[in-house]
Amino acid sequence: MGIKEVLLALVLVGVAFGISFLKKLDLEKELLIGTLRSFIQLIAVGYALELVFDLNNLWLILLVILIMVLVGGQTAGSRTKGSLKGFTISSFSIGVGTFFTLGGLLLLGVINADPKYIIPLAGMTIGNSTTASALALERMHSEMKNKKDQIEQALSLGVPSSQAVEHSFRATARAAMIPTLNLMKIVGLVQLPGAMTGMILAGASPLQAVKLQIIVVYMLICAVSIAAVITARLSQSTYFTRYHQLIIS
Amino acid sequence: MFKIELKKVSRKRTVKKGNDSIEMEVLKGVNLSVQPEEICTILGPSGSGKSTLLRLINRLEEVSSGSICLDGVDINELEILSLRKRVSLVFQVPVMFDGKVEDNLRFGLKISDENSEQEMKKCLNLVGLDSNFLKRDSQELSIGERQRVSLARTLMHKPEVLLLDEPTSALDPTATQQIEKLIKDLNQELKLTIIFVTHNISQAQRLGHKCVILIDGEKVEEGESQVVLQNPDNPLSQKFIRGELVKEEK
Repeated sequence: MGIKEVLLALVLVGVAFGISFLKKLDLEKELLIGTLRSFIQLIAVGYALELVFDLNNLWLILLVILIMVLVGGQTAGSRTKGSLKGFTISSFSIGVGTFFTLGGLLLLGVINADPKYIIPLAGMTIGNSTTASALALERMHSEMKNKKDQIEQALSLGVPSSQAVEHSFRATARAAMIPTLNLMKIVGLVQLPGAMTGMILAGASPLQAVKLQIIVVYMLICAVSIAAVITARLSQSTYFTRYHQLIIS
Repeated sequence: MFKIELKKVSRKRTVKKGNDSIEMEVLKGVNLSVQPEEICTILGPSGSGKSTLLRLINRLEEVSSGSICLDGVDINELEILSLRKRVSLVFQVPVMFDGKVEDNLRFGLKISDENSEQEMKKCLNLVGLDSNFLKRDSQELSIGERQRVSLARTLMHKPEVLLLDEPTSALDPTATQQIEKLIKDLNQELKLTIIFVTHNISQAQRLGHKCVILIDGEKVEEGESQVVLQNPDNPLSQKFIRGELVKEEK
């Protein structure tokens, strides 16, 4: 596949552009920026990955993953007020989930210590963990706001804040994991996920592609569980003083 | 020694007005002393700082200045979770936790099942409910029953002081009368010190040994209930008792 095919595919963007223009959706400018941005970003990432794959240096791989984790943390954390705390919590949660999962796969010998495997898998893990972490931050905030009376009632009885919000913690962790749990249910039946599709398009047999996809799904559920639980637990503590007083207006 | 003593207690809060944040003084240098086994009613119009005062004693909020003592000890020097068990707060709208009544009564306690069963029956009995209530779904109780269960849940922690924040405001007259009797009984049988917040003047007269009137965050009157409510000294409390107090006047 060359640049000619990529440019030909631009026709499809033209269709979207035409729909927006005809139906007065006023999205032409955004479509133009989005098209240019995704083109530049992906080409830049392509060159960067070529370099990383060629150098095959462990520290460089770790640096790339770390940058991806921080970008994920920033994206998830920016959805909450006090984004520095949100950023720190999300980055930490996503980072722990990602390094634990990938480390586990490497230690078990499921994947090779090759950037061609590690970086794409890290990308999928971080992407899904970012969604889980963002959902957890938002859900925890609404739990604190909507269940203020219940939480203060529990606190007033002399229970620690961790116990007063146990119900909210569980609801938050569950809500954050729902997209990945749903993915597990529909994978293959409704949706052919990216990794599998990519392998099939690249010429691998469907059975081979499915095996990789199964590993990916298991990897995602592990990383997402870790990110969801850590985000929920850490964000919960930001709503209380050290004297177990709820601080939310 | 006083059971509860407030010394020049102030509480400031930042509130949003439009786009601006302004600092409001909800309580202004309040002094108050409550004797052991006394029922003290805190009376005042809405927004006078009555509920905030209870929240400060339970340390759900911190004082901005001044201090609060329990048995002569500053509450800031006490371990907060044990303080809250000693000084329990019952809210205006009783919140039930998910599960049965027994789950609510056991909430936050570390006692064996056998002991807790006996304790739960005893506490339900104290609030006028029979032991069949233990297995009832807490979400299906009437508001009056919820308030009783809420009181029983508080009693499970064996408090020394009960802080009651308008516990009858959502109840009908019959349920109100029953709760009032219950509060008097708890005061006599368990020797509890009770601070009872209300905006109902006749209720304060019926219940309290002592009455304090708070208006716009300031204590304007304190004394024996009968004296304070029949012959108040302060012009503002006179107006409040006559039902003529308009908030903007202060």
